[in-house]
Amino acid sequence: MNEQNVAQAITNALIQGGSQWLIATIVAFLPVLWTMTLMLHLGRPYVLRTLRRCGLRLGADIWWMSYLLIRDAVLLITFALSWIFFAPNIVVNDALPITGPLAVLCLLLALAVKLSRRVDDDVTAYRFATGFLVLGATLYYGALVFAVEATSQDALTGFGHAFTSNSNTGVALALMWIGLVGVVLVAGWLFVRALQSANRTMARRLSATRSQDQQTAEPTSVAQS
Amino acid sequence: MTPDQLTQAIVSGIGAGGEQFLEGTLAATLPIIWLAILGLHLGRPYILDMIDRFTLRLGADLLWLIYVALRDLLIISGVIMSFMFFFPDVVVTDPLPLTGGLAAACLFGVLLIKLAGDPDHNLRAFQLTTLLLGLGALFYFVPYVLGVQANTVAAGALGTVSTFLVTNTNQTWAVGMGYVSIALLAILGAIAAGYTLRTGGRADASETQVSATKKEGASR
Repeated sequence: MNEQNVAQAITNALIQGGSQWLIATIVAFLPVLWTMTLMLHLGRPYVLRTLRRCGLRLGADIWWMSYLLIRDAVLLITFALSWIFFAPNIVVNDALPITGPLAVLCLLLALAVKLSRRVDDDVTAYRFATGFLVLGATLYYGALVFAVEATSQDALTGFGHAFTSNSNTGVALALMWIGLVGVVLVAGWLFVRALQSANRTMARRLSATRSQDQQTAEPTSVAQS
Repeated sequence: MTPDQLTQAIVSGIGAGGEQFLEGTLAATLPIIWLAILGLHLGRPYILDMIDRFTLRLGADLLWLIYVALRDLLIISGVIMSFMFFFPDVVVTDPLPLTGGLAAACLFGVLLIKLAGDPDHNLRAFQLTTLLLGLGALFYFVPYVLGVQANTVAAGALGTVSTFLVTNTNQTWAVGMGYVSIALLAILGAIAAGYTLRTGGRADASETQVSATKKEGASR
């Protein structure tokens, strides 16, 4: 092996290793994000109780705004980073929880409930969002803890084989496609809903402006004045 | 050795080294997080004393909110960073405190009490929170100091105890403790989810009933 071969090997290793390192970091970071998402969502009663004790409106507003921003941003980031579950190459080559795509679908459904209904005012909507998040987290953690992170356990070999994406590629790909179709459908519905809502509100505003313009354009008759 | 083999060896090195570096960093940061949590929780009287000295209500409100946010976010971070104690492969490979998972369950218990009770205004809830934090600190620091950080200097009986308290030198107990901690966390998590579903995200369950009655009245 000459100098050029070694240089080429190191270059390839850095590219491949870097890409695998990035994926591994996302995979390692996802449980953190899932837990944070769940805790922030479930912690709402506590945040409300603390908010009520603020003597000034400003403090309460800052507290509530920070909570909302962090909670929803973490939810969105978790969904965005979970996109690795919909990359067939990664699903087949890396050890990922096999139910990951379904967990992501649940996460998107929770997001959809938040986008379509006022979760912070509507108890039923809040319960729906909670249900989706808890279901998604269960699907994610179950396969992660007892399959992907338990390869050293003989008692869990069967479960590990069945619930790890790169050891059960057929089922993993099937679940991935099911999850992806679900995500596309929900995202499509959100897209149409956003368009309809924009059309409705903007049309109302436009018609109001138009009628105002007409009123100013029409001259006031002398008899009326 | 061919260039392909060399590439593969470097890739494996980057992957394994990176993972161990990440876990090592988390393990090294956890004692700091634990100390900060304890410091902030036990420092409550000092903060309350300072709040009384404020001449402006805004400053007092901000100080209290920042204190509460810092204290509770640190507890959440502690639980999240303790997740490695629930992964059998990590527990078997890395030298971690044997009862770290139970410490994480105690931290989660604190969060549950904060969710369902009111430790800042209810004495019993505060006592329970303090007790759980103390218990969690014991579960974390005893095996950490006597086991993980003393396994090279401990000899004789202390050496045996030290070996027992570290996960990768006592794998059977470590995995068992991991499963017990997972079960505890699952039960506490289910209680938290049940509570939030019952209250519908409101501060109290009674508010949900009031809003439901109002809704019914409006629909009639």
